[in-house]
Amino acid sequence: MEVTTRTQGDVTIVAIAGSLDSITSPQAQQAIDAVVAHGARKVAVDFSTLEYVSSAGLRVLLSLAKQLKAKGGALRTFGLNQTVREVFEISGFATILSVYPGEGEALSGL
Amino acid sequence: MATGFQMVMGPRPGEVARVLAAFAAFAESRAVPAEARRALLVVLDELLTNIASYGMAGRADGSATVEAVVSPDALQVTLTDNGPQFDPLARMAPDTTLSVEDRPIGGLGIYLMQHLVDEAHYMRMGDQNVLVITKRLPAGASPELEGGL
Repeated sequence: MEVTTRTQGDVTIVAIAGSLDSITSPQAQQAIDAVVAHGARKVAVDFSTLEYVSSAGLRVLLSLAKQLKAKGGALRTFGLNQTVREVFEISGFATILSVYPGEGEALSGL
Repeated sequence: MATGFQMVMGPRPGEVARVLAAFAAFAESRAVPAEARRALLVVLDELLTNIASYGMAGRADGSATVEAVVSPDALQVTLTDNGPQFDPLARMAPDTTLSVEDRPIGGLGIYLMQHLVDEAHYMRMGDQNVLVITKRLPAGASPELEGGL
């Protein structure tokens, strides 16, 4: 699992590669907390290189959503593969984390 | 059997990571379609972390066995552990309609497992929990027949 960030205007794009599960989520949580601590308010999470996410990973994403919401920020996600999409739909996360097909759609109007 | 997988997990740190990595390699070596492989990795992460956290808590003799068999139309995984009786299929579903602020952290793992597999059966056999889960593979995937004939 690897978390990389880049910025485009006032949007921070956070790419999570590999797997987001019980093994990698502590490291992902640290990386995500650092992104928010550095002042990111508008965040787009790029899942195009993410293999899968389990409930431990969903906890990290929920924590990011809550932190951004508390600071008046916004969160969007894009690039989900079929498994990640399925996990989002089953868990109800598809309705709480705005899901877009690609980067262009996710960044438009954010 | 050429298509089988078997691994024993003990109550040591790092065991879930070891099993997940080996299972991923097994599924890839048998050309299991990526979606089925990924779904089963999610399921195994949920079930094995549960067993490691609860079933093996405070037990030096805690042990779990993960077995998998690939057939042309399905991937079947059997999980056996010697923890206290626990039927993961009897758990209540969490409320997934709550808003992001009202949602409690956690509690989703077993619910995800139930929905990501096509069949799941639980049995208590002696002092063991036995869970058999089946993920159907798309027609034509026939992993072990490809290149083997």
